[in-house]
Amino acid sequence: MSDLDRQIEQLKNCEPLKESEVKALCLKAMEILVEESNVQRVDAPVTICGDIHGQFYDMKELFKVGGDCPKTNYLFLGDFVDRGFYSVETFLLLLALKVRYPDRITLIRGNHESRQITQVYGFYDECLRKYGSVNVWRYCTDIFDYLSLSALIENKIFSVHGGLSPNINTLDQIRTIDRKQEVPHDGAMCDLLWSDPEDIVDGWGLSPRGAGFLFGGSVVTSFNHTNNIDYICRAHQLVMEGFKWMFNNQIVTVWSAPNYCYRCGNVAAILELDENLNKQFRVFKAAPQESRGAPAKRPPPDYFL
Amino acid sequence: MEWEADEKEVKAAGAELLPDGRRGLRIHGWEIESSNRSILTSLNLQAWEEKLETTHLPEMMFGDSSLVLKHITTGTKIHFNAYDALVGWKKEALPPVEVPAAAQWKFRSKPFQQVILDYDYTFTTPYSGSETIERADNEGNSSCLKWEDCEEQINVAALASKEPILFYDEVILYEDELADSGISFLTVKVRVMPSCWFLLLRFWLRVDGALMRLRDTRVFCTFNENTKPVILREICWRETTFKALAAKGYPFDSASYNDPNIISQRLPVVFHKTQKLIIPATL
Repeated sequence: MSDLDRQIEQLKNCEPLKESEVKALCLKAMEILVEESNVQRVDAPVTICGDIHGQFYDMKELFKVGGDCPKTNYLFLGDFVDRGFYSVETFLLLLALKVRYPDRITLIRGNHESRQITQVYGFYDECLRKYGSVNVWRYCTDIFDYLSLSALIENKIFSVHGGLSPNINTLDQIRTIDRKQEVPHDGAMCDLLWSDPEDIVDGWGLSPRGAGFLFGGSVVTSFNHTNNIDYICRAHQLVMEGFKWMFNNQIVTVWSAPNYCYRCGNVAAILELDENLNKQFRVFKAAPQESRGAPAKRPPPDYFL
Repeated sequence: MEWEADEKEVKAAGAELLPDGRRGLRIHGWEIESSNRSILTSLNLQAWEEKLETTHLPEMMFGDSSLVLKHITTGTKIHFNAYDALVGWKKEALPPVEVPAAAQWKFRSKPFQQVILDYDYTFTTPYSGSETIERADNEGNSSCLKWEDCEEQINVAALASKEPILFYDEVILYEDELADSGISFLTVKVRVMPSCWFLLLRFWLRVDGALMRLRDTRVFCTFNENTKPVILREICWRETTFKALAAKGYPFDSASYNDPNIISQRLPVVFHKTQKLIIPATL
């Protein structure tokens, strides 16, 4: 058994790798990812997965439902880390699979694959807690800069973490972005990872936060027409039912973190496409409590004031 | 993992746990019950949007979750739910808070026909609980309960004594990640001891790099053998900007402000009052 195969087995048991192993794995991953396009071509059949957010045991449920990699060809739409308890193990397992089977798993970048966001929403603290230093966080966030920004399945389905950008009309415009950087606060690359479809606008909308684009049905129609694609598949927003179509089936949101944050009670979904691009959503629930490793302890009484 | 009551302690206090898997207990004429449910389905969410006349609700709507405290003989019911809180949000209708990146965005070339949404996406609410009277003789009449300002204070000393906790729960009413720009949540925690019950309803908002808002309502009731319970509540709102904190030498990064328990003292009080619930005599 090669070192890599052993590491994959170890990670499948939710045991993190040694710091030196993470460093070596990231170097190998970088060599593969640097060659990928900003619009990475993906062949069908493929199974598309949305946000995971460090919910390692729920991702194992996902693999139970969708089949193991490399037998199943996977496309993950980003947001591997933050919020859940096992961002380290989740991301490293996906990365190890990428290095071992580069043609059978595609990872694209979500807005949480960023230095700034991971410092606020959990991944940074988790690395510090599990390794006693932030080196692993550094290796991982350096790799984030190499992740592709989108994928194109059989030239017909465009996949991205967030959504569209007013700066982008054609896929070629995405191909020219210099992606090897921290996610910027504005511009096309930022929009691809952050924007949301919105029912109540038809064209473009600006979020009440003063930053962040919302796009309506006519924007999607025009993008799909210009680029000759059937529909857009994206993630980024929690959906109680695991997936949600909008704008007459021109865009679908796929959400793959069941019982999000361990309290929402939502189901999750993955989208399976066969060789003819026929769709099947597979809906799944969170892993049962007893399969989550360490037994939960009764918390002490909370004398809050 | 949920907190579990110690049955011996419950019995010793003359209380009984609610049957049939319900969470809560009966004690000294009170029935206290919490329920934590899943977030609303898309269909229910849509129905709520129509009822509340809004196009946006928090992304995690625990619309079926609640905390109810009912005094059996007077029919006084104090309860906490997301719907009433959002009615308050709609009414207050604060202007939206701009995130730091907004300044840069103003210089971005705007797409043709851009719509700027301007609802209060932070879901800030003045909600401090709901109260109704439910009794056989005047069903549905909720107007006769009234909170009046008072001088009395919640007895913190009584709360600091480590009486056993017979029942404890936390119910999240709604939560929103502000599209990864911070956090907004409304939650209510309750603890019931042999001599009293105490609860904390908390609205907590952090807009990264912009501002923090903490709106706490504490409600306290000592058990007595009189027919009418004495219920006090203290409402305390705190608010400050990241800029103001930085000016005082406090850290500016959002990661330092994850836990409102730890940093609440750094936020200046902007509103405070204590009130007592006036319960009409039984007819």
